Amino acid sequence: MRQTVSASCGGCKHFQNAAEQVEAALPGLSSLSSAYAAVRCDDGICAVHERYIAASSVCPAFEEGYAFA
Amino acid sequence: MAEIAHTAHSQALSRRSPWGELFRKEDWWAIWIGLGLIGVAVALFAGGSSIKWIAVAPQKWSHLSDVTQQLKQHGLQYAALFLLWAVAFGIGAAALGIKISRFLPAFLLVYLAAGVLYFLGQWDQAAHYNLEPPLVALGIGLLVSNTLGVPRWLDPGMRVEFYIKTGIVLLGAGLPLTLIAWAGPVAIVQAAIVSLATFGAIYFAAIGLGLDRRLAATLGTGGAVCGVSGAIAVGGAVGAKKEQVSIAISLVVVWAIVMIFVLPLVSRALGLSTGVAGAWIGTSEFADAAGLAAAQTYGGYAGSVPGIAGTPDAAVSAFTLMKVIGRDVWIGVWAFVLSLIATTRWERTGVQNKSSAAEIWNRFPKFVLGFLVASAVLTLVTRGFDYAAYKKEVVPALVAPLQAFRTWAFTFAFLSIGLTTRIREFASIGARPFYAFTIGVVVNVILGFVLSTQVFSGFWNRLGQ
Repeated sequence: MRQTVSASCGGCKHFQNAAEQVEAALPGLSSLSSAYAAVRCDDGICAVHERYIAASSVCPAFEEGYAFA
Repeated sequence: MAEIAHTAHSQALSRRSPWGELFRKEDWWAIWIGLGLIGVAVALFAGGSSIKWIAVAPQKWSHLSDVTQQLKQHGLQYAALFLLWAVAFGIGAAALGIKISRFLPAFLLVYLAAGVLYFLGQWDQAAHYNLEPPLVALGIGLLVSNTLGVPRWLDPGMRVEFYIKTGIVLLGAGLPLTLIAWAGPVAIVQAAIVSLATFGAIYFAAIGLGLDRRLAATLGTGGAVCGVSGAIAVGGAVGAKKEQVSIAISLVVVWAIVMIFVLPLVSRALGLSTGVAGAWIGTSEFADAAGLAAAQTYGGYAGSVPGIAGTPDAAVSAFTLMKVIGRDVWIGVWAFVLSLIATTRWERTGVQNKSSAAEIWNRFPKFVLGFLVASAVLTLVTRGFDYAAYKKEVVPALVAPLQAFRTWAFTFAFLSIGLTTRIREFASIGARPFYAFTIGVVVNVILGFVLSTQVFSGFWNRLGQ
């Protein structure tokens, strides 16, 4: 089944990508880099798969939350 | 928690605007602040004035009474400088979603501590006692954060990357565009050789040790390209497990901090010139902030440690060319290629990544653009001056004040590295990732040394003259 852009992880309630959340979840990140950096794009943490993923990713567990994508 | 949810919602809203990127990433704010300061400095210089009043910096001193005298004489300027930084970084922090009421008190302490370290570095006996400000800042920060502990309310003011990127943009004003054009290709060639070899060493060692490909790629990029930033960029692009990214971050931070002390120490023991040592540090350090701490330390040896040839600035210049131009700018390409491979070749994870060439620009470290623009602006402004006039007029009124701003920004960053590195909070690394990464470190350091001191040594030595 084809998933639309609006159903990407960036719009999922299981996806956490606020910079503070990302820095809290990845200790040491702010010592020599930053969650506010351009290289991070909108990557965040999927609470379902426990993975650090791009906001444009898709998965069957999608549930609409904040609309990032 | 409600605050984080609010931040998340604000980011969601700003994401809808195509221009939102320009105000919600610290790379862009580093550009606005750095180029803003340069713009004001150039405008004042063109009008026959200078920004030097507010770009105050400690001068050489021998006795504590000299320090008191300097503070009495320039106290107002130091207060004005604090206001300038507080407004500039405060606006940036607020735009990033950091509450200004949390940022300012923390930044005040960072500013005061940085001032103490800046003064310490100007002591005429500092070199004799090995009290280089970057190392002292790092050492004290590490000691405090890992023994006494640093209160969490200080975290909003300790933005290592925000300060270091702003400093790098300001650093562009001290490097002529012609020098970047001359040295850039060599830096890219040297960095490409070392990056590919280091990535290959870590990646294949990790695979050989039975580690997951996504962890191998995240570790490899962290070691080969741009440290923690490389690890999070590729970790996100390939969809690594959260703990795999944490492992890569921990390894990079630990090794980067070790290298801050080791690389200047070995370079000094071997009597490397500042240009050569800067190139080696740029090739073999893992993160911009860590490398600049090492390079600035080594630059400080010029003129104070017998046998160290080259100018103080050459170490930082060579480092920046090697690390920023040679390595950092390629992170988007690494992320795109590895994302493509992960999507098409590696085992599925339950999350489907969308690999796209847009990744190359999206993950591009934008502050590099500010560095290049700063270089172009100063090159244009100063092109009508001969060497004597440049030294007599341009340096004191324009270049030196911008250099003082840069040193402040770097000092904020060096101090923040140590204070934010809480080793007990790091992820448990495990033996196999440690071995894989350490193999890469060995390859990186040896190859970087050979290329900097043998293959391209003439080139890097000329940079320091």
